[in-house]
Amino acid sequence: MTTVRHPVATASDDVAGRRLAEEGAPRTPSAGRSPVRRRRENWRIRGELAILLGPALVVFVSFVILPVVLAAYYGFYKWSGFGTPVDFVGLRNYVTILTDPAFHEALGHNAFIVIGSLVLQGPLALGLSLLLNRKMRAQSLIRVLIFVPYVISEVVVGLGWGLMLQSGGALNGLLDKIGLGALRADWISDPALAIWTLLIIITWKYIGFAVILFLAGLQGIPEELSEAAAIDGASYWQIQRYIVLPLMGPTIRIWAFLSIIGSLQLFDLVWIIWGQYVASTAGTSTMATYMVANGRNAGSFGYGSAVAVVMFLISLAVALIYQRFVLRRDTAGALTGGTK
Amino acid sequence: MTATATLVTPRGGKAPRRTPAGTNRGSSVIVGFVALLLIGMMLAPVVYIILGGFRSNAEITVDPSGFPTRWNWENYADVLTSGVFWGQVGNSAIAAVATTVFVVALGLMAAYALSRYRFRGRGAVYALFTAGLMFPMTVAITPLYILVRNLGLMNSLAGVIVPQIAFALPLTIIILSPFLAAIPNELQEASSIDGLGRLGFFWRMVLPLAVPAVVTVGILAFVNSWNSYMLPLFILNNEATYTLPLGTQAFASQYSVDTARVLAFTSLSMIPALLFFSVFERRIVGGLTGAVKG
Amino acid sequence: MNTRKILAGAALAVAGTLALGGCAGGGGGDNADGSVTLTLWHNSTTGDGKKYWEDTAAAFEAANPGVTIEIQAVQNEEMDGKLQTALNSGDAPDLFMARGGGKLADIVTAGQVMDLTDKISADAKTALGTSLNAFEVDGKNYGMPVAVLPSGIFTAQDLLTAAGVTAAPATISDLEAADAKIRATGVAPIAVGAKDAWPAAHWYYNFALRACSKDVLDEAAQSRSFDDPCWLQAGENLESFLKTQPFNDGFLTTAAQQGAGSSAGLLANHQAAMELMGAWNPGVIASLTPDEKPLADLGWFPFPEVPGGKGEKGAIMGGVDGYSCWVNAPAQCTDFLNFLVDKDNQENYAKAFQTIPASTEATDAVTTPALQSALKAYTDAPYVSVWLDTLYGQNVGNALNVAVVDLFAGKGTPQGIVDAVNAAASR
Repeated sequence: MTTVRHPVATASDDVAGRRLAEEGAPRTPSAGRSPVRRRRENWRIRGELAILLGPALVVFVSFVILPVVLAAYYGFYKWSGFGTPVDFVGLRNYVTILTDPAFHEALGHNAFIVIGSLVLQGPLALGLSLLLNRKMRAQSLIRVLIFVPYVISEVVVGLGWGLMLQSGGALNGLLDKIGLGALRADWISDPALAIWTLLIIITWKYIGFAVILFLAGLQGIPEELSEAAAIDGASYWQIQRYIVLPLMGPTIRIWAFLSIIGSLQLFDLVWIIWGQYVASTAGTSTMATYMVANGRNAGSFGYGSAVAVVMFLISLAVALIYQRFVLRRDTAGALTGGTK
Repeated sequence: MTATATLVTPRGGKAPRRTPAGTNRGSSVIVGFVALLLIGMMLAPVVYIILGGFRSNAEITVDPSGFPTRWNWENYADVLTSGVFWGQVGNSAIAAVATTVFVVALGLMAAYALSRYRFRGRGAVYALFTAGLMFPMTVAITPLYILVRNLGLMNSLAGVIVPQIAFALPLTIIILSPFLAAIPNELQEASSIDGLGRLGFFWRMVLPLAVPAVVTVGILAFVNSWNSYMLPLFILNNEATYTLPLGTQAFASQYSVDTARVLAFTSLSMIPALLFFSVFERRIVGGLTGAVKG
Repeated sequence: MNTRKILAGAALAVAGTLALGGCAGGGGGDNADGSVTLTLWHNSTTGDGKKYWEDTAAAFEAANPGVTIEIQAVQNEEMDGKLQTALNSGDAPDLFMARGGGKLADIVTAGQVMDLTDKISADAKTALGTSLNAFEVDGKNYGMPVAVLPSGIFTAQDLLTAAGVTAAPATISDLEAADAKIRATGVAPIAVGAKDAWPAAHWYYNFALRACSKDVLDEAAQSRSFDDPCWLQAGENLESFLKTQPFNDGFLTTAAQQGAGSSAGLLANHQAAMELMGAWNPGVIASLTPDEKPLADLGWFPFPEVPGGKGEKGAIMGGVDGYSCWVNAPAQCTDFLNFLVDKDNQENYAKAFQTIPASTEATDAVTTPALQSALKAYTDAPYVSVWLDTLYGQNVGNALNVAVVDLFAGKGTPQGIVDAVNAAASR
């Protein structure tokens, strides 16, 4: 029963990976080879590497890395976007960004969303996945339905929710109908409410993804463990707390990583529902909306590029810290460096 | 996953307790109820959009949260019979399929190289791809636009496809690498004994084994491409080349008076993605299972 | 053999990408067979405005065989961003909408717009008169105006009468009194589409017009900073006006022109009594009324006077909409511009958009009473200022608009507006 499934509790897959890494190319039967053969083998390996890695690297470097570098370059200029940048201002853009209260606000909103998403989605998704992990009739259907919001484009989500949450829209209408008219509110433009509204919409859209990930993780936990613990007298909650949760650790940590990075880069939803101006007055601006509003839409492409670089550096710093301190146990070697 | 599971004996309560059968039935009801509530909340906005397309504008203004009194099929019929809608579906489909095919091909090859070969700078290359995750499309859009223009790919689907491939590679490689690394050495040794080189091993054995993970990344790439908005917004100026999200937003602002029609168009533009997902749903979960364990 | 397969696959991939690249949507320019294609970007996505461009382009094509015009309707709020990106990457439309002022000056500095000084026909010059000035930068002309758009307060006259407001408010206190009366009838006194920022900012522009002298306005166009105390005074006047809560509910998320819930839509559906807008508004309102016909009781009065300011009485804020040619556009581009301002086309424009044409020969086509009042105020004004965000360029203009919206939301201060503008210069 354990031969086919990837074993979890025994030798970790990554240990195998690391062993592979240490040994280099898979061992071939012939031990001591002649130097000529080895050199030809080396070139052959390099050739294969070029073919395998080449196309991806070329595309990636040209269309992702190059723009990053260009953005860093533009960031040192005051540039209205036309022609080539000529007005070199050094670090002034960066100083302006870091001292702009509007940017601090945006950064604060991003932080709020990062933490809010983790706190809101994590336990909820865990609970839901535990609930849904049983054999039940509609399990497949429910899984599909939970994932639906994730699959829908942000444009549709933005348009739909935007219409629903208007002052004269469906939500307020519904509240009126069921007699809770006192709860009517300006869900979108009231600064006290707007950021929570955003958090709820984000949770709605991405909880499905979390649940699916957690379900996948749960299915990797052998039932025998829980059964054995139950036989020993553990209650349901004790089983969850001492067996399931620790084993879900890696899954949760990976999900948290993706969630954090996604929260830092939030743009589409805010832009479509709030627009660039209301986003800052309603208190839902993010670094990305700040960048587009103050950069491209203001005709300050140098400044906008500098904001892009700052966003990139913040995301990178968060990612590196997270990987080093949190993910290290799980994916040593896989993410932070191959040869250890 | 290196987390080794050690069975922790629960503190206290060593007396054997049989779980009463009654609890199971009771908890099933709770579970069912919660599940129903959950589905309701998940689907309410979607249902709102779909039903809204069946109502008339006057109805929507007067009673925003009500059901349609008369089922107006005209809105949906209008959209379905308009060439514009199907043209956009076609454009989105071409872009999504092309993106997916290339992302899978390039990503698989790169992940294989990164996970099963050892070479100097391997860690650096891997870190390079990971760093790409930190640089989303919105941030790169200006220099990217200039690059696409210089290559003469403006107003063409290729100008959308190639950058999408590039931006989808990091996640793809990150998901695929551990998966491929987990394929046991013994298989590779066995195949080389049979005369298969590394590339042959890749082609004949790894590919079939990697199908679950490949399906996962393929679906993620497809969905992301289908829903992508900002990049087509800048590259595709010609209405004939619009993809579906672009077209939906353009439709929404053009016919903004006609809320019902906008809702009809919006709900129709959701359908392809939903169909696609429901067909592949089992594969997605299966694929994520493998990815998460790696 | 596997290597070969992979190589073949890669070659196919590259070929495929290049082939897809060949299926480009195409820009304008001279084609191989001598025919010329002009690309045109305008901002009328619906109704008669859209039709006007299609008809006018067709007429031009008929009169000039071998010339094709490709039209692209871009939503107004997206126009600036898209145009900026297009101009910036050197792949711009041949004909694009321009409003003059600092925004145009920035494009001129970048060398992306065609110098039209010698290419405007004599007839056009006579007909257009002073409206051409809006498109002048350093003595040279870079655009052809098609409409003059004075700013003022559009009204649903019936609602005013029902509230007992008989005379047009002459001062700000009169306006505040009228607001109270209108609110008592259950209707929102003034609609403003603050979601798009510029409608809210127009309130500040007009307060600034009243508070600051013409010289200060012009000087700020050069220095792009708000040093004179009149700017702060304008903000304070606006703040005290805002305290009377004259606007519709949820004005912060009300769009300006999109949909029945927009500020224009509110006016069109008699859910608000007044709206401060430019002279394009009758056309926009007409498309949002229940029967899509012009609003029967549409009225207009100029922005009220504000005591204690240095602005001259009767001065009016007004934009000029026009079109410019890209620097690399074919010569036929200027022919089209001249074609646009001939009497017939301008009359058609006035009818289609329900606005005031730039050509003085075509002003007879203005039949809407509201517009006639606006036109009179425009011609009688001692001086006209272009919208401040256009005048001061996109960078400062954007910062200004955002700061005004913050004030509207209760989040900013009048000093904040001044600070925001001065800070924008450092970007």
